[in-house]
Amino acid sequence: MNLTSKPLAAIIFVILFGGIAITSTLGWWQTSSSKEAATFTEGEFAGQSNPADIRGSYTFGDIEKNLGIPPAVLAQAFNIQSNIPATFAVKGLEEIYSTSEFEIGATSVRLFVAFYKGLPFDLSTDIYLPESAAVLLKERTLTPERLAYLDSHTILGSAAATDTSEPVSAQGTESTSEVVPTQSAVTSEASTERLVKGKTSFQEILGWGVSQEIIEQVMGVPMPNPLTKVKDYCTEKGLSFETVKAALQVEVDKVK
Amino acid sequence: MKIFGRRLFRPRSIWIRRVVQWFFFLLIALIAVNHTLVENGGGIPFLSTASLHALCPFGGVVTIYQYATVGTFVQKIHESAFILMILGFLLSILFGPVFCGWVCPLGTVQEWVAKLGHKIFKRKYNHFVPTKLDNVLRYLRYLVLAWVIYVTATSGTLIFGEYDPYFALFNFWTSEVAIGGVIILVVTLLLSLFVERPWCKYACPYGAVLGITNLFRVFQIRRVESTCKADGACSIMCPMNIPVDTVKTVRDHQCISCLECTSEAICPVAKTVLFNAGGIK
Repeated sequence: MNLTSKPLAAIIFVILFGGIAITSTLGWWQTSSSKEAATFTEGEFAGQSNPADIRGSYTFGDIEKNLGIPPAVLAQAFNIQSNIPATFAVKGLEEIYSTSEFEIGATSVRLFVAFYKGLPFDLSTDIYLPESAAVLLKERTLTPERLAYLDSHTILGSAAATDTSEPVSAQGTESTSEVVPTQSAVTSEASTERLVKGKTSFQEILGWGVSQEIIEQVMGVPMPNPLTKVKDYCTEKGLSFETVKAALQVEVDKVK
Repeated sequence: MKIFGRRLFRPRSIWIRRVVQWFFFLLIALIAVNHTLVENGGGIPFLSTASLHALCPFGGVVTIYQYATVGTFVQKIHESAFILMILGFLLSILFGPVFCGWVCPLGTVQEWVAKLGHKIFKRKYNHFVPTKLDNVLRYLRYLVLAWVIYVTATSGTLIFGEYDPYFALFNFWTSEVAIGGVIILVVTLLLSLFVERPWCKYACPYGAVLGITNLFRVFQIRRVESTCKADGACSIMCPMNIPVDTVKTVRDHQCISCLECTSEAICPVAKTVLFNAGGIK
């Protein structure tokens, strides 16, 4: 059976675009990471989205879809001046607050969302919020414990370092370094290269000089396949990523 | 066939291949631009906003190990890359590396530069590298492939992205592009002035993977010896320097199924160099 160029061209189109169409129909064709936060599996809030699973690649719009907080509220909380706050990516906060004494980033958003919605959240680590976020939260009903935490973890007078009239979006992407021109990352490359984040795998931590024994000691469970992401494993094992992250970061800093 | 030094036939080209190449080049370029626009709050309606990593079938290849061992994809790689990898394999098993010869925009750009090289160097073009050295260098891409798979499997990150000229080609205007990728892209384009498809021949790890299918693909380039005039036109025309006129069936791992050697294009004798499946009537 002979084949000439024109039928071959048609077959190429049919196989490529037909394959994409079929897999799209089946829901397999995904060009970006899933923006569905993990849910609480037990207790009073079972089935609800867990703010601890908010990732840097999430936009304020994604948070609205998962947890029902309007993007305008989030923009107000974190001083984001944008006409379309729904497209602002959480990871953009690190750059905007690069001059802040304490880190304000995805963890701050997780904390804010948990307090705003009255959802469970691990407060064993220090996470800070800008004053504008604290003001909004104090209008909500907070437990005395949360109120005290908020008072001691508010950066007074904090404001975004740069005006963000143009949104920093993460649509279709998932990596901080891939989209945001991280000014802070450029200026302090050595420190940010070894930050334990949501995308960090055990392999990377091993590569930074932390031994498997130390990692297992910190986590209290055996280390899985090194290519597994720390955050995924914490979720799987029911561990607090924030706590594990902070403890691992201490070990990473020790070997710098 | 020549009389008084002039060819009696007009060499034809597989024009539909050029159309397909243009199509995919423009499609990927527009999607890459759209990806940038969306990051800045804009965007072209009805056009994909996917990242280039999501649309590269080689991303599927490098993530196989992690997917098999952990069940997750390498950072920046998504299901779409895995699906494109499977579709690319399907096409290759049937027709050889048509992805390289018909779809890959980096191959297309190298061919565009090659036209300039052809004009400058005439018949000497694509014959600068000594044959013995060339034969060895052609296996370099398997070393590149092994290295990429190894570093990706051990690091869990897309390290090849730092050197990928394809990514650099469609992201040179963004902060995502790595200087290593830009340098390799520029070197590739400069070399394309002397050698046809230098990246594909010597370094492309995805071409290395697909090239293996040339050994067993269903549709093969076949030469009918009984009607062959042995004028060597097929070999001269081959962008990958495969000596088509010396074999019955092309099983060279570098063939990209461009069909430029066939009787539909350069071969002056009808039904002599064919693209067919031997067992299928």
